[in-house]
Amino acid sequence: MAVDRRKLRRSLVCWLALAPLVVIVLFPFAVMFLTAVKPAEEVFVYPARWLPSHYRWANFSDMWVATKFGVALRNSLIVSFGSMALAIAVSIPAAYALARFPFRGKGGYRQFLLVTQMLSPILLVIGLFRLAAMIHWQGGNMVDKHISVIVAYAAFNIAFAVWMMSSYFATIPRDLEESAWLEGCGRVRAVFKVFLPLAVPAMAVTAIFTFINGWNEFAVVYTLIRSDANKTLTVQITDLVAGRYTVEWHQVMAATLLATLPVSVLFAWLQRYLVKGLALGAVK
Amino acid sequence: MPRNSGRTLTPWLLIVPSLALALFVIGYPLYNIVFQSVHEVSRFGLIRDFCGLDNFRKLFADPVFIASLWRTVWWTLGVVGGTVLVAVPVALILNQDFYGRGVARVIVMLPWSVSLTMTAIVWRWAFNDEYGMVNVTLQRLGVIAAPVHWLATSTLAFPVEILVGVLVSVPFTVTIFLGGLSSVPVDIYEAARIDGATGWQQFRKLTLPLLRPFINMAIVLNVIYVFNSFPIIWVMTQGGPSNGTHILVTYLYERGFRLGKPGEAAAVSLVMLLLLFAATAVYLKIQPREKGEA
Repeated sequence: MAVDRRKLRRSLVCWLALAPLVVIVLFPFAVMFLTAVKPAEEVFVYPARWLPSHYRWANFSDMWVATKFGVALRNSLIVSFGSMALAIAVSIPAAYALARFPFRGKGGYRQFLLVTQMLSPILLVIGLFRLAAMIHWQGGNMVDKHISVIVAYAAFNIAFAVWMMSSYFATIPRDLEESAWLEGCGRVRAVFKVFLPLAVPAMAVTAIFTFINGWNEFAVVYTLIRSDANKTLTVQITDLVAGRYTVEWHQVMAATLLATLPVSVLFAWLQRYLVKGLALGAVK
Repeated sequence: MPRNSGRTLTPWLLIVPSLALALFVIGYPLYNIVFQSVHEVSRFGLIRDFCGLDNFRKLFADPVFIASLWRTVWWTLGVVGGTVLVAVPVALILNQDFYGRGVARVIVMLPWSVSLTMTAIVWRWAFNDEYGMVNVTLQRLGVIAAPVHWLATSTLAFPVEILVGVLVSVPFTVTIFLGGLSSVPVDIYEAARIDGATGWQQFRKLTLPLLRPFINMAIVLNVIYVFNSFPIIWVMTQGGPSNGTHILVTYLYERGFRLGKPGEAAAVSLVMLLLLFAATAVYLKIQPREKGEA
């Protein structure tokens, strides 16, 4: 019992110390939620108040129509899934090679990945736009096409995906594959039969994080996508705010909340894997 | 013999797809930026004449560029420094065993899950002059008497943006530190306690040295991310008011896609690249060489 009391006191101290940060972290979520459910006429009253007089859930359905949320949501899903699939498809073999083979050029390849991390999309945005404008695609060029965004995201996610997966792959004991060879199983078959099933969790977690990266990215879509019909959520919602004289803040907040919440929940659920994966990668 | 060459070939075959994709998407734009930066380029992207270093000369003659350059330094130092200062104690606390630690970890990680763009939009609204919740709350608490024009004054807007930058960088940094702390053996603390070391001494003599490599890594990665960070400033103030919050990336974007000067924008990209490589070189130089890296 005495021990418990000590832990209780420690908990109190810890929470008190974290309190300022917790307040600041939760502040924008509170602003988002409370503005999203406010009746429009209460958003712009002075002095403003935190709480709405009543919760107006219809803001969400109004927003859905007014901001063409559905279209942007579909685009975000296409772009995020596409880039996730492409990034994972090219990163799995690379991560396997890093985790299992000693080979010449391994250090160079690692360094190359590090450099790609330094060159952010925004730094290259002028060149990326030219690249998309240069390639002929379906009778036009690749500007304003989802595929160009997908390919760009995938490329910029390779370093992260390879890093995460190779550090996890390295923790899967090599003996399992080797004993499969002894039993006459081919090297390739051993990978599919023994290694990949064990690697599924690592691949799934990495895939979800590349998905979230795609979902949250801004600069590339902002540059490469021109028409409203193809814009993703981040850009569509920014367009509701930037350069407008009047902003329907209750709708904007409803939209940001809806675009953010599913990903936040997913992230909250999976963040401990990220802690583990990055730590494993860092120690090496 | 064929077996042996197969062994060296296999890993290369495995990394080729990723290598090709990255080279294509990153290599060509890089080449193209170098090319555009030494040419006169029309606003529609037509390449005109070779113009040597004219684009660079124009940049360095532009006071807004020089100001953005310096502001980028402050932005990077401010956000990275602030982040490390906040993240070390937070990681130490989250490494303790206390009730509700799981919840606390999730809350601290939350800003990471939200798109920078969305974070910037919400804070832009929160810092709204009359109706924003920051002013409302501060007035209610009696901290300020009248609404403060946060984002309409560049000397206020820029520090606010730095604070938002710190907030969104803390989760990633805490994650790295937690990874570092989990590799610290517990028994050395017990030994230290038996020797009568105080909490502060334990931190200075044990925790900090053990965390050092992780702090270094967090600084390097954060410098890269923050230096390249675009959405926060672009969405909150677009570099304004009166160019007072531009950093290099927002200046670059405005040149390239708003003012129709792709050649000069490409030159900004190259200047930024050089700065990044210079920073990396300096880091590698001052980094005490320990064991060879894998």
